[in-house]
Amino acid sequence: MSDVDEVQAREHIAMVDRILAQSQPRLCTGGEFFIVWGIGSAAVTTLFACIDLGMLPSVAAWWAPVILLACAIYSFVRARAARRTLASSSLLQREFFNVLWISVGLAFIADAAAFRLFPGIASAAIWSVVEAIVLLYIGMHGNRRALLCGVLVVVSLIVANFVGGFYPPFVLAAGMFLGYAGFGLSELLVRE
Amino acid sequence: MSKIRLGVVAELLNYDWVTFTDLVRALETTGGNLGAHLGKLVEAGYVQEEKRFVNRRPLTRYRLTQKGRDAFAEHVRQLQSLLVP
Repeated sequence: MSDVDEVQAREHIAMVDRILAQSQPRLCTGGEFFIVWGIGSAAVTTLFACIDLGMLPSVAAWWAPVILLACAIYSFVRARAARRTLASSSLLQREFFNVLWISVGLAFIADAAAFRLFPGIASAAIWSVVEAIVLLYIGMHGNRRALLCGVLVVVSLIVANFVGGFYPPFVLAAGMFLGYAGFGLSELLVRE
Repeated sequence: MSKIRLGVVAELLNYDWVTFTDLVRALETTGGNLGAHLGKLVEAGYVQEEKRFVNRRPLTRYRLTQKGRDAFAEHVRQLQSLLVP
């Protein structure tokens, strides 16, 4: 490296960025993760909405951590199984998984450890925001279905914000189910 | 790592196998020049070379090894460290 100066370093890095940007491979997204988390987040959101409306007893709230833990365990086990494949995947692919894990992890932490800051429907909205971020990130790398599904989740957020009555959590849940889980299903169907 | 070799490694990052012809085209260099650099990368264990015949025509293709990926990541880190004031 002693024979490379700052100007050459910039040129080299710019060349690498250009090559990586030009190749722009489609991301392999692991459709099953999206199905699990889309259904899981929609289920928890619907669960709390039903409890608030008196349709379910408050003790049913214990299902929420069970559902989220089940999603987390499934993701962990599947991720370990895919570790060997991941080791030989592209930098872009690995960066995507970093984005995915950080986003979902932060939503998990916000729900579990910052519940006073994000009470009620705010905790569900965080999941919608995170899911939209992940989908739009995939969409930016050439996956139009992800872009469409990301927009769907964003629309559900906006509609939930303005619709009245007891609808907001159900609108968010619909966005999670159709947008996030729906994208996961479409990925699995395309790859078959 | 020279600029051409860095370019080769960057091209190979996102694909499983890339042919010699595709690399020449992508890097906008001559076959002779690229061949010399690829030889060094293969010798260092960063790139795996495969030669075979397809429809009786020779086909040479290359794939990045894990050692090559690690070396690339380290090299980019060192390049970026040159940019930090």
